[in-house]
Amino acid sequence: MEHEQVEKEVAQRSVLIYLPISIGSGLIFLLVTTFTGNYPLVARIGGMVWVGLLSLIVSMPIVISRVKKQLHGKS
Amino acid sequence: MTETLSDLTLPISGMTCASCVSHVEGALKELPGVSNVVVNLAVNKANLSYDPQRVKLDDMLAAVKDIGYAVLTAELTLDVRGMTLRQTPPSGTSQGDACASCVDHVEGALNELDGVIASVVDLGLGTAKVTYIPGLATVSAMKRAVREVGYEAQERPAPFILSPTKVRGRSEGTDALDRERQAREEEIKRQGRNLVIAGAIGLIVMTGTFYDMLGTFKAFVPVWLSYKWVIGLLTTPIVLGPGRQFFSNSWRGLKHGVTDMNLLYATGIGAAYGIAVINTLFPKAGFGGEGATFFESAALLTGFIILGRWLEALTRGRTSEAIRKLMKLQPKVARVMRNDREEEIPTDEVELDDVVLVRPGESIAVDGEVFEGYSAVDESMLTGESLPVEKKAGDAVIGGTINKTGAFKFKATRVGKETALAQIIKLVEDAQASKAPIQKLADWVAGHFILGVHLLAVVVFLFWFFFGYQMFFDPNSSFIMSPYKLGEIGVFGFSLLLSVTVLVISCPCAVGLATPSAMMAGTGKGAEFGVLFKGAEAIENTSKLQTIVFDKTGTLTKGEPSVTDVIAGCEWKMEGSRLSSSDLQTGNVLRLAAIAEKNSEHPLGDAIVRGAEARGLQIVGPDSFNSIPGHGVEAKVEGAEILLGNRKLMKERGVDFSSMMSNAEALEANGKTVMFVAIDAKPAGLIAVADTLKEYSVEAIKHLHKLGLEVAMITGDNQRTAEAIARQVGIDRVLAEVLPQDKAEEVKKLQAQGKKVAMVGDGVNDAPALAQAEVGMAIGSGTDVAKETGDIILIKDDIRDVVVAMEVAKATMRKVKQNLFWAFVYNTLGIPLGAGLFYPFASLILSPELAGLMMAVSSISVTLNTLLLKGFKPSVGREHKPRQDSGNPQLHHATASAGDD
Repeated sequence: MEHEQVEKEVAQRSVLIYLPISIGSGLIFLLVTTFTGNYPLVARIGGMVWVGLLSLIVSMPIVISRVKKQLHGKS
Repeated sequence: MTETLSDLTLPISGMTCASCVSHVEGALKELPGVSNVVVNLAVNKANLSYDPQRVKLDDMLAAVKDIGYAVLTAELTLDVRGMTLRQTPPSGTSQGDACASCVDHVEGALNELDGVIASVVDLGLGTAKVTYIPGLATVSAMKRAVREVGYEAQERPAPFILSPTKVRGRSEGTDALDRERQAREEEIKRQGRNLVIAGAIGLIVMTGTFYDMLGTFKAFVPVWLSYKWVIGLLTTPIVLGPGRQFFSNSWRGLKHGVTDMNLLYATGIGAAYGIAVINTLFPKAGFGGEGATFFESAALLTGFIILGRWLEALTRGRTSEAIRKLMKLQPKVARVMRNDREEEIPTDEVELDDVVLVRPGESIAVDGEVFEGYSAVDESMLTGESLPVEKKAGDAVIGGTINKTGAFKFKATRVGKETALAQIIKLVEDAQASKAPIQKLADWVAGHFILGVHLLAVVVFLFWFFFGYQMFFDPNSSFIMSPYKLGEIGVFGFSLLLSVTVLVISCPCAVGLATPSAMMAGTGKGAEFGVLFKGAEAIENTSKLQTIVFDKTGTLTKGEPSVTDVIAGCEWKMEGSRLSSSDLQTGNVLRLAAIAEKNSEHPLGDAIVRGAEARGLQIVGPDSFNSIPGHGVEAKVEGAEILLGNRKLMKERGVDFSSMMSNAEALEANGKTVMFVAIDAKPAGLIAVADTLKEYSVEAIKHLHKLGLEVAMITGDNQRTAEAIARQVGIDRVLAEVLPQDKAEEVKKLQAQGKKVAMVGDGVNDAPALAQAEVGMAIGSGTDVAKETGDIILIKDDIRDVVVAMEVAKATMRKVKQNLFWAFVYNTLGIPLGAGLFYPFASLILSPELAGLMMAVSSISVTLNTLLLKGFKPSVGREHKPRQDSGNPQLHHATASAGDD
């Protein structure tokens, strides 16, 4: 039961970190493509989604395992 | 508070790659009270230590399930007799007590067993439903537990595996092996089904996609099949059906912070499919339009990945054939005497001291000691001994061996997990589940690879989006091995394609499989020849050895003195005898000496008697006998006065041996002990006695030299004797006059010279030296392998098995290196190819589906390369094996002195 509680807390704390990271990466991509070059809107939106998705995939496991370590260290 | 750790092996399903290994290890390590977690991909098992006070089995199962894998469990129904339904028992009756508490009793007894996850008793049906881990809990243990609390339990037919998929089981004798095989067969079936769906529909998708290139075949294909929306409709069931596993598995892992191969596949397939859907529904969206739908990429990528999984499931099972063969040796039933009646019961229900009956042709169920009957037993499957071994009252029999001719009864001395066969299986399984140092590195690389690949995919996407497309894109360029032009594909579509291809081609499956599959095949191959490696590390260390140190007595030599030379005095001839050839004269010298020594209890005298008997000489009792302590014996034989003893005795009695002294000295120079024989005060001959070399010592050392090893011998003998033996065997380095307790120190000295050293010796007496060496080989341990020290156990007393161990280890490591080389070469070449590094020069890019095929081929090639180990044969001859029971000693001409080490 305690284990489940910890897992829940890990999930809640992690999402607050990795979601902004991935959304931020996507937005940065959108901004860069908007102000540099002459890219079609679809390419900019598509690129934003793809970069955001890959950033999510990269950041999720890193953030979750760090948060887990922090919480397990405390308990 | 002190921790009491228990060891546990969990069968894990759903692992496909090295990153899965690190995820399962990570999930289990995170649990409080769990340590020493080692997960092996090739055997799909997790070995760990845990503190039962701090962590429950349920927690471990949940932790594994949470990250998308499963622990194989099974369910079984027991009919429990003796429980009653009465709710209000008549007071004071024990039956009444039972009805109120029997549920608790039975459930409590079952739940206490190791490996039982849960048990639910249904009083109305009189059954207990047990969920357990196969291999950890056995049916017989459950029955015993129920019996111990006062009830009788009987197994109901058809247990089945609950997770990850339900598999029908057999009614009886279903064991861990069967369940593991069933699970694998189910996986093969499942992936086979997926392959048929993805393959068949994928072929139609391909036909539709390349409709324009079909030429005359167009007449057989309806034109509507080339419509993009039709191709899209056909691809959808492939992605959502067979391909769904990648999405669900990767999501399950991702939400627990783990990434695996499934994620690579899911992003690859998902991106190809998503872009194709957008281009079909919104061709003007700018993703390349109808010319870049890539439905066939999504369909074929799914098909190829599933093809890889299917082939891997097919071939992976074959690398564990050796252990399967060992497990199959265990007979399912045994015939025992119970209540003066013959009963056939499951083997795992045989108890200590049970009387077991064995008929001709039957397998022996458990280990025991014969007390009635006579037979010959084929033990080749366990000891490698090619000839059947005779068994009579007092002899030990080994479970799993086959009775050949006669019938006998024996008393069970070791049952269940204690039998020799169970110990050997456990040892091989543990070895297969362990990790070699080289594998730890490969697992670490593969485990961190996925994140790296996703980062690389971002970099590749950004590069081609911002720079590459503008600089190098050519609308006439195409995919490798495809006439399909990239045409009007836009910057996003092109960059996304290359990014997806990198994801797909980078799968480190081959890296993850390279080491464990070869280690598994190697340990199995060793077991086939009676060479048991205690771990993957033992194999790796053995392959790097430079020096092998042999203990002399009992390892290189037989450890007991034997007659090696008999020389008759040239002037001597037995009076009245018509025999005159020198052979017969030597025979007479030995015969008379043996008669004189018949009543002696001295080891040398015993050696002379055995030597004469082995030559077929008839030994009668002497007319009179007198022992001369410290010197020899004198006896009257057939009217002649025989004096037998050392040089000093002959000198004291005035017998002149000067004519034979040069022979005596030559024998002594070779480390032999010389006995002088005088008849009627005249010199009659010399008998040399020494510890004889084992039959194959010379052959084994020769082979070790061929393998480039330095061979040393360690002994308590004096330098001269030790060197004499070393010369005969071909030993390079002699470590003489070493006390038993100093052997480990000598090994340490060799190690200090920078050598990788193996020590070969008796597993019990030489334990410190075996432990000190990089590799300790315990030779001739028989089948009681659990007690042995050392990293390698050589079951037979055959020194050539040291050569077999070396060759198996070298062959295995060769395979590991080949596998790792090809796996890394694949990724090293594949990733730049997938990232479009060659596109600026060749105007060709790799399609995601071709990347998928390459990835599948790399995994399969690693497994197939490993399977080549199945044909491994050691260089030393196996056809003439010595008998294990040395009841009929032979004399050999190669000799060694009887040492005292």
